[in-house]
Amino acid sequence: MSESRRRTETAAGSLTRRECVGAFAAAWCGVAPLPARAARPPRIACLEWTSAEMVISLGVGPVAVADTKGYRDWVVDPDLPAGCLDLGSRGEPNLELLTELRPDLIVGAYGYGLDEAPFKRIAPLHTVPFYDGTEAPYRQAETETLKLGAQLGREVEAQRLIHETAATIADLRAQFSGRADQPLAVVSMFDDRHVRVYGKGSLFQDVLDRLSLANAWTAPTDSWGFSTVGIEQLVAIGEARLISLDPIPPHVKIRIDQSSLWANLPCVKAGNARTIPPIWPFGGLAAAARFATFLARA
Amino acid sequence: MLVALVGVPAVLAAYLTAVGLMSLLPADMWWQSLGATDVADPRQLLYRHAFLPRLAISLLAGAALGLTGTLLQQVLRNPLAEPTTIGTNAGATVALTIATLYAPWMLEQGREWVALAGGALSTLAVLALAQGRSFSPVALIISGLVVSLTCSSASALLMAANREYSEELFIWQSGSLIQNGNAVVFGFAPWLAVAGIAAFLLLRPLRLLDLSDEGAESLGTNPVVTRLAGVTVAVALSSMVVAAVGVISFVALAAPALVRLAGARTLRQRMIWAPLAGATLLWLTDRLVQVLPFASEIPAGVATAFLGAPLLFLLLPKLRTNPDRDGVTLSSVRRRSGWVYLLLGLLAMAILLCAALVVGRGAAGWHVASTAELADLLPLRAPRIAVAVSAGMMLGVVGTLMQRMTGNPMAAPEVLGVSGGASLGILLLFVATSTVSRPAMIAAGLVGALASLAMISQTGRRQPVANDRLLLSGVAVATMASAFSAVMLASGDPRLDTLIAWLSGSTYRATAADATIAVVTATVLLAIVPLTIRWLEILPLGEAASRGLGLGLLRVRLILLVLVSVPTTIATLVIGPLSFVGLMAPHLARMLGFQRALPSLFASAILGGMILVSADWAGRMLIFPWQIPAGLLAALVGGPYFMALMWKGRQ
Repeated sequence: MSESRRRTETAAGSLTRRECVGAFAAAWCGVAPLPARAARPPRIACLEWTSAEMVISLGVGPVAVADTKGYRDWVVDPDLPAGCLDLGSRGEPNLELLTELRPDLIVGAYGYGLDEAPFKRIAPLHTVPFYDGTEAPYRQAETETLKLGAQLGREVEAQRLIHETAATIADLRAQFSGRADQPLAVVSMFDDRHVRVYGKGSLFQDVLDRLSLANAWTAPTDSWGFSTVGIEQLVAIGEARLISLDPIPPHVKIRIDQSSLWANLPCVKAGNARTIPPIWPFGGLAAAARFATFLARA
Repeated sequence: MLVALVGVPAVLAAYLTAVGLMSLLPADMWWQSLGATDVADPRQLLYRHAFLPRLAISLLAGAALGLTGTLLQQVLRNPLAEPTTIGTNAGATVALTIATLYAPWMLEQGREWVALAGGALSTLAVLALAQGRSFSPVALIISGLVVSLTCSSASALLMAANREYSEELFIWQSGSLIQNGNAVVFGFAPWLAVAGIAAFLLLRPLRLLDLSDEGAESLGTNPVVTRLAGVTVAVALSSMVVAAVGVISFVALAAPALVRLAGARTLRQRMIWAPLAGATLLWLTDRLVQVLPFASEIPAGVATAFLGAPLLFLLLPKLRTNPDRDGVTLSSVRRRSGWVYLLLGLLAMAILLCAALVVGRGAAGWHVASTAELADLLPLRAPRIAVAVSAGMMLGVVGTLMQRMTGNPMAAPEVLGVSGGASLGILLLFVATSTVSRPAMIAAGLVGALASLAMISQTGRRQPVANDRLLLSGVAVATMASAFSAVMLASGDPRLDTLIAWLSGSTYRATAADATIAVVTATVLLAIVPLTIRWLEILPLGEAASRGLGLGLLRVRLILLVLVSVPTTIATLVIGPLSFVGLMAPHLARMLGFQRALPSLFASAILGGMILVSADWAGRMLIFPWQIPAGLLAALVGGPYFMALMWKGRQ
């Protein structure tokens, strides 16, 4: 079945119901949806990267995003629109600049410990809840994409994003099923002695599940779905494939290459260590699709 | 005693090590796989390239720290000297932070040289500042503290501005002994060997430092050269430790102190036993953190802080300290108690407040807000300015109160660990409940501040002007708090942005309610404080004199404790634990000539308020739309300024 045909079918089948859900969610959040397709594009400001990724994925260019340089290094895709202003750090988005920009909507993500009150005084605030323990991250990313779509008057784009992502993953799943079934572990390397390894409760785990790939890391993780461990613990994954996310600082890479433990880890010795481009581990559907795609190329 | 001191922990550590090894590899394979390791066997790989290197580095780093502490304490004739108190660690840390974030190519050959350069520079700065007062213990520690605070503010600032790039630094600065093979051990061991040989070659001249400088010279050594050589060895060693495993606090302080207490009288004895004690201390700590039932392992550097701090409190009464002769006196102009000057100061503060309210930057650049714009901006700017000015005033008053109470020129809420105690309370609350509710935070902070004050006054009671002990207990609490925040930062929880912001003294989250609480507390404090003037004039005369003049010491102390802890807690809550204003403002007031109790209290209140308001405003403007936390900026600018004052004020 071609990708586009399946997309249209599913989209047509559930559009109304989804729309209702979206509208209901928006109403429940206490924020009125923006008028769909208003004369001028809505001015959106994003307080951190997950919400920025979601807003841009829905085809809306935010006027300002917090820590734009960091976004370009750690999230990368989807691209920030040209002329998108920097709002300052994600921990402290600049309130005075925000006031001056007079956004129609401010979008942020739950969990960064920011008090919502000051933002609500400036413009309606849409908060994307993630990692609050209610739903698995991928499922929650879908729900939140719909809610955000309803909020932005981009229901169709939201539907399309959900189905495109699902289709991408399904296609790749077919690709993977041809290969030998080999478990893999996904890590970020911040220094040469520790890794942050993603497991149960992470977006990556959900994508792996959808790809029918086994995560070699089965030990418990924290509420954000990862845990920071010494690299010696990677012995536990045996000869599984080891996928590390860029960016790895060059000096860390050099020191890792000098490490006698690293060189002798079963997975490294077997030639199963790979590096893939940056993916924001706490991102939404775009990050999920990006992860699946790079995994297939690794 | 000495054998027991080293032997008991060693036996315990050896037992834990053996148990750990057993579960890893059968005992009959230990020897064989040491030389001929079959790395294809995961057990042997872990044994040879993770377990043993970690064991080795804990022993080596511990020994290095023990030796460092002994050398520094001998050379500087100061029982409190160690790499943390004399600024070496902070200098090495900031150098590594800068290199990691801006010049990673410098680290390609390893961290050692960068750490060494940073550690050497900061130690030099500390020694240069203390040199004018012939390295008196207090002068040295205050110089070390000022330099350390400045360096760690700089590191914190750089990390806050590079949040996602700092993960490596967070992990590293918490002092983890986890190893990834032989490289670090093989790199470190030669340094330790060379330093050990150098130290023993220096034994005789070092011993002569026990004599007066003239005496040492008459015996044919040059004390200046000896000192320089001793400090060089110590700084090199401690920078290597920082480069290899991060900051391991307290071992360099505790090991020499412990062996001295256990009866090591001569320098030779101490130079042999302190490294042994340091090695077993770190070895045991590192084994303990691995058997503790926590979800993620606590880094050894944090654990030593937790184990070492209470140990120090136990040991404090037994530690023999040199009576401190000269405090730090900054050059003061003529005496000035004129209320005219205070009024002028008040006027200056009012002008500053107005300027901070209306002048700002926006998308289009600098501009002075019109009345219409102010309607938008006032709700954003007013709470921040209000908490900054009130916190500054409170810290200024509290610093003056504490300096008068203890008769110690270095007393300040930041220095004596009151801020540290408050932040420890708040951090514990955050860990236990993840709450950011203000009343709960105030309560937790208050408990922490009172607890540390109680500990401090307990320490200070037996010997009223035991400056060294007072400082030592303060350093202990402050170190514990910073170690604790280090472990939380290393956990990588994205919620920590809030915590980082708070730790660095940001007013960003100030609400109208915060502003009200801070302003009310500051006002009440300023209203009550004049009633305590008589006590404050009498207390510096000493305990006997105060009793003679009819002060009910217990009651007075209790009231003053409350007057210190409540405002400190509120200030810590709104501006973070790292501000430096409580130390700086009273000294500035004295320098400007305000000597008597009441005028100096008000003067330091005004100065403290002005410092933090300026810092807050500048922090919002300098790298717009990014923001520099006010507390950080105050420390970053205040530190060097303070250093300059000390430099000018030296004899």
